[in-house]
Amino acid sequence: MSTTDPIVSKPLHVTVNGIEQPVEDIPEQLMMLDYLNEYRNLTGTRFGCGIGVCRACTVIVDHEDGRSEEIRTCITGAHYFEGKSIRTVEGHATRDENGDVAKLSEVQQQFLDHFSFQCSYCAPGFVNAATVLVERLQREPVPRSQLEATISDALESHLCRCTGYVRYFRAVRAAVLATPGTTVEG
Amino acid sequence: MPQFNQSRRRFLKHSVVAGVSTYVASLASPSFAALFEQDILSPTAQAWRPGTGMKFRLDGIAKVTGSKVFARDIRARDMPHWPDTQAHAFIIRATRCDRRYQGIDLSALEAAGLAPDRVVTAEDMARDNIQVPEYYGPAFFLPAGETPLYLGYPVALCIYHDFARFAVAKARVRAAEDVVVYGEQTPLPEKPPYGAFRYIRVGGDTPYAPDRFSALQETVLYPDFRKRHPVWPQALENGKDSQRAMYHANQLAEQLDMPPDDWLVFEAEYQTPYIDHFAMEADNANCWFDAEAGDMHLVCGSQSPAELVERMAELHSASTFASGRLFLHPTYTVGYGSKDNSIFPYYGLIAGLYGDGHPVRLANDRYEQFQATMKRHPFTIRNRLAVERETGKFQIFKQNLTANGGGRANFSNSVAFVGATAAQGIYYMPNSDLTATAEFSRMPEAGSMRGYGTIQTMAATELMVDEIADHLDMDPFELRLANVFKSGMKNTQGAIPAGHLRGEEILHRARQHEIWTQRAARKQAFEADHPEQRYGVGFACVQKDFGHGAEGVFSEVRLNADGSIEVRNTGAEMGTGYSTSQAAVVAQWLGQPANTVHTAETEWDDLAMTSSGNPYVMSQSEQEAAQTDPRWTPMLQQASSASNSSYYLSFPTIEAARVIFRHGLWPVALEYWQRGIGGGQAAPYVVREQDARWEQGKLTANGMEPLSLAFLAERAHATGRVTGAMAHAFNRWEWSRADYRIDGTSENLPLDGLAVRYGDGASQQKKARMTSKRGFELLTRSNPYFPPTQRNNAGVTYYSACATLVELAVHTGTGEVSLLNHHSFLECGNTIVEELVSGQLQGGLAMGIGHALYEDMPLYEDGPGNGTWNINRYHVPRASEVAVWEQSADILPPLSRTDPPKGIAEVVMIPVVGAIGNGIAHAIGHHFHRLPITPERIREVL
Amino acid sequence: MAGYRQTLAALVLAVSTGTGWAASQATAKQIERGQYLARAADCAACHTAEGGTPYAGGRAIETPFGKVYGTNITPDDEYGIGNYSADDFYHVLTQGELPDGTQLYPAMPYTSYHDIAREDSDAMYAYFMSLDGVHVPSPQTDLAWPYSMRWTLNFWNWMYAPDDDAGQRRAADNQRGRYLVDTLGHCGQCHTPRGRLGALKRDRHLQGAVIAGWQAPSLEAEALAARGWDDASLREFMREGRSRQGSMYSEMYPVFHHSTRYLDEDDLKAMSRYLLGENPPAAAHVAQTTAVDDSPGRQLYLNSCAGCHGADGEGAPHVASAMTSNTALRLDSPRNLVKIIHDGIDARAFTGYERVQAMPGFGDALSDPEIAKLATYLRRRWGGQQSVVEADDVAELTGASD
Repeated sequence: MSTTDPIVSKPLHVTVNGIEQPVEDIPEQLMMLDYLNEYRNLTGTRFGCGIGVCRACTVIVDHEDGRSEEIRTCITGAHYFEGKSIRTVEGHATRDENGDVAKLSEVQQQFLDHFSFQCSYCAPGFVNAATVLVERLQREPVPRSQLEATISDALESHLCRCTGYVRYFRAVRAAVLATPGTTVEG
Repeated sequence: MPQFNQSRRRFLKHSVVAGVSTYVASLASPSFAALFEQDILSPTAQAWRPGTGMKFRLDGIAKVTGSKVFARDIRARDMPHWPDTQAHAFIIRATRCDRRYQGIDLSALEAAGLAPDRVVTAEDMARDNIQVPEYYGPAFFLPAGETPLYLGYPVALCIYHDFARFAVAKARVRAAEDVVVYGEQTPLPEKPPYGAFRYIRVGGDTPYAPDRFSALQETVLYPDFRKRHPVWPQALENGKDSQRAMYHANQLAEQLDMPPDDWLVFEAEYQTPYIDHFAMEADNANCWFDAEAGDMHLVCGSQSPAELVERMAELHSASTFASGRLFLHPTYTVGYGSKDNSIFPYYGLIAGLYGDGHPVRLANDRYEQFQATMKRHPFTIRNRLAVERETGKFQIFKQNLTANGGGRANFSNSVAFVGATAAQGIYYMPNSDLTATAEFSRMPEAGSMRGYGTIQTMAATELMVDEIADHLDMDPFELRLANVFKSGMKNTQGAIPAGHLRGEEILHRARQHEIWTQRAARKQAFEADHPEQRYGVGFACVQKDFGHGAEGVFSEVRLNADGSIEVRNTGAEMGTGYSTSQAAVVAQWLGQPANTVHTAETEWDDLAMTSSGNPYVMSQSEQEAAQTDPRWTPMLQQASSASNSSYYLSFPTIEAARVIFRHGLWPVALEYWQRGIGGGQAAPYVVREQDARWEQGKLTANGMEPLSLAFLAERAHATGRVTGAMAHAFNRWEWSRADYRIDGTSENLPLDGLAVRYGDGASQQKKARMTSKRGFELLTRSNPYFPPTQRNNAGVTYYSACATLVELAVHTGTGEVSLLNHHSFLECGNTIVEELVSGQLQGGLAMGIGHALYEDMPLYEDGPGNGTWNINRYHVPRASEVAVWEQSADILPPLSRTDPPKGIAEVVMIPVVGAIGNGIAHAIGHHFHRLPITPERIREVL
Repeated sequence: MAGYRQTLAALVLAVSTGTGWAASQATAKQIERGQYLARAADCAACHTAEGGTPYAGGRAIETPFGKVYGTNITPDDEYGIGNYSADDFYHVLTQGELPDGTQLYPAMPYTSYHDIAREDSDAMYAYFMSLDGVHVPSPQTDLAWPYSMRWTLNFWNWMYAPDDDAGQRRAADNQRGRYLVDTLGHCGQCHTPRGRLGALKRDRHLQGAVIAGWQAPSLEAEALAARGWDDASLREFMREGRSRQGSMYSEMYPVFHHSTRYLDEDDLKAMSRYLLGENPPAAAHVAQTTAVDDSPGRQLYLNSCAGCHGADGEGAPHVASAMTSNTALRLDSPRNLVKIIHDGIDARAFTGYERVQAMPGFGDALSDPEIAKLATYLRRRWGGQQSVVEADDVAELTGASD
């Protein structure tokens, strides 16, 4: 019987929510979702389908040029993120010295005010997708008349089983409209 | 391992079952938070806006920031008293039912250095005497040498002490085709049906006259089975009830076979899809068996924690594992029924037992979830409906349905008969003969799921009514109005539904809506603009029962001297906003919501209640004998399901708050208002309790000075009045009642158990009576009334109504259906938190749209039991498919402020199904009988 | 991205004469047969817009000469072929000339259809006439001069039409297979290389071609076997759209969706026999090697691919193709592999309940050198192809489709 270790590991350097994570040996075939859940105990990023369809596992990659991008961690290896900086749902609100929530992000506050989610299992993916959208619109505003269609395009692939999406979409519209520079007349 | 501090262990002991002490603390409850320092619920004060209600969900901040709210989020290191190392497990399942199972071959894993640290099979179950609870059916693991009864039958559980090897091994086992070893070919498994039920009713001359025969009056029929076919009693006009039933059934059948000339007898067979819950949190459990201490600890999401506590303790007790205590930590979850009486947590428990001291996490991935969790029953429904052509009046309704229950019975019997008893929808049926059969098959088990048999039957009824209207060349609203069920009429079981039925009112409203009135003009305009599409408008309306037919609920409300309120209740939070609404319901009596809410509480020793017998099938004499024990109730605790939370689970909470109001707050308010000479400010007016109102958080009545809750609470405490109440209520389509002597006053209350607490300033005499473990005085009821057991035959009596109008377009080339818009009408009594109600409606509509248009799977070898299904093939509706920006709804105002809040989580998903089918018929002229209505099926008829 | 199928659409201007022909004259059996033949001839792939009514036209097609549109061939009098006679229909189909004498662009594969039997043409005609006419115009073509000048097409036809009979050699006693592959299926329109002016090279029948940036691989028996195909898997691929060799992507997906999935098993057998011959060469077994697992491509694979395709390339049934038996890895050219990695594959529905989610494109996430390393690894690890894919190759192959 072979006794070679089936798991090959190597160090991973990644920044999560602005904090450089402790460097440790991570299996080369580990998915990022498992890294966050099992190695970092950040469980807000959720396993839904494991094949990149439902997007409950979406996090944000922050690029050096200021762009932010959604990425699915259930189908992306942890080592893809070597040297990268990501945001997870745990990192959006500002927190006090005890780690308690002091202020929600605009997107989170709108989700709360609109009773957007029910079970909330998909909420992390929606928070991240909506945040990426708001940040994109700050760079590239759209005419107000196209806002609903823009939201529909941006969030279409995110699945929710509880809510029928209505309160998510209305909240995202409110978050966009509450963020200056995201829409232009027309 | 962190030091476990015994003094901080404030788990509440639930009870002793079969020698095992059981303890329950939900992760959100203070008793656990003391250990866990985890607080999911926000302080109510932040969320409450006097006059308008809740500004946000109490669990909202935790949920939107990614806090640990699901069992899925919990790891060993999150449990302060658990070891830190988390072990992981997965289940290997057999995917063939045509061969004998021989065993498993893990040699490839072993060769790769990936052998499990522990493998658990049927042999371990036998050796250690671990028996499946009877309710769950055949054994946990299939013994070698047997043929699997259903696709996906577990054969082994593999435990790994580290995640990295677990993850690689699981992927390899999934990809390998030779891990499960099969032997010789055997016949496909067959079993008799799980059960069958027949409801026959022959009405009197008018809907209000006594019935000639009904299930409520006489009997439901339960046939014997011979060679899997039902054998009905002999028909005798003057025989026993069951024989008379058959006599009437035969009479009705003859009329249907040889109808008068002026009748239309419509016949059709409807088929409903095989639906997965797709609860996004897949089933999981995390379990640690502390062999040294003999303690079992289990974290899992459940809609029925009380059921787990009882059956798990029994399982433990019978096993060879020395276990004295069971700690259950139910978490917030999501289920739509899938986490109600689910077998899954028991596999989690087994994983823990064989974890060699490690906490073991068993968490389905999505393939496993499709393979193993219960589904919505596919129904085949054969309907016959006789209609008088001239008037459109329904005459005789005959239905024969079979519900495919899959490999474990679960709630299949109940789903089948609930489906049949709901089939009449919003219509009065003068005569009916409804037969429901729940069948075994080798498909993965079907169980409780939102809709629970009624989405199948009522959607079929609504499709049928529109098709009949076409046959009669009658306006579908006219036909509906001609037959609409009115208050005081009897349902197909012979029972009179509770309260005022508002289906007729909804019909009148919907008929005036522009989607309906403009449909001809809009069709013309749309089709001119879109030559490849056909426009259609469809309508459907249903009323749906809510509740199980036996509800047992505990609740505790406490008012502290500072005016803060605490609520403890048995219900579980499944995403519906239950915790938020429980906080809110006390406001009607106490003027503000509860500051703390503890859900999924199962320990209620203070009330010392006992139960015996089965509430559904016990005889009247058995009940009468039992109820002489003043602590007896037909049912202690029901699961959180069947849309029961807003009405039933809130009920004792509201009653407890009312007891505090009447015996604590009102007397001190009156005293205050009557201070001074000549009766004080109250003297010039007549001040009555029924005029009491909470306005802007303060109590007033007949113009008296508004008083804050804090002010009143302080005085109620100071004067030793009632400041806390713990109550139990039982409902069997009506509430049990009893007399109680409360603080010197007698009252008849809809409760069968009650204990009260007096304020801090109570007399020594009163304090001496507060002897229960939480310091309550346990009252002893007198003159108890329990709903007669005959009411079990009623089927259902509590209804809420919902209707949906749909605008859609059918592409004639591709067969694709686009939902352009929809508008719903919902009647739900008084809403507790309106945003939660409309949120349920919007979510239910999406689920109904999936049922009507998108969701389906093959049942057997190609279906989810083979372990390869995921949501790339199973289409859950997307935002673009639900008219997300266009949809709208009217929530009907309550009849008065005293309407009860009604359960609506299921009814909201049903009418959209019929409305879509009817809209497609309007668009292309074809009435479909089979759901979902896919593009292929549409192309076939075009 | 442009596809090779898209170079081949017909352009039929809405000019028509003819006698009219009532669908009611056709028997139901004839109509049914016509539908089957129209599917075998894959008319829909060009004459149906994505999500549009079948045969109502409107699909935009990029060609090296400019943009043309599949036309409305429903029996609408104004915009469709409602005024065609059966004779007209046969003439257009087999000669590429409209009733008024207007010459069609050769995107219409009339050089393949040349051999369609008259009775088959009549059956197809009966079928089209039985459809509801769809009153929508075909969009106007947009071709660069001189190709917009239709007279040039007569010149083209003089040079190259009608189709060669190179397939005759392979057909032996299997005329049905040849008819389905060469005539109705017009497979050669993509899988046979073309000359500079777009005409097929008769002497290289079905030997593979590059069209619109994609490789339409060789369908010769030896080449198919070398990539792992045998009779059963070829038939499965045509019937289901998927097999262990992979799934239909790019412009083969519409071929499956509109055509091959409807063919009966006898016809699939005939096609398979025609392509593989009476004595098919054994499907090659490609050695898998873990020797390359220390190359940089391995980690790229684990990072971006293994989540669906499996750490060991095993794939997931009904979800993601296996690498271990994947035909795209075995092609000499890395062209298709590189384009798929770069652009991804759209979500698609296959037969029955089969649906495959979209494969994301990695053009943004991975650099050209990374894609080159990944492609090299994949081809070596599972495809038996040892050549090194260079970053420049990636740039060249993917530049066109950006």
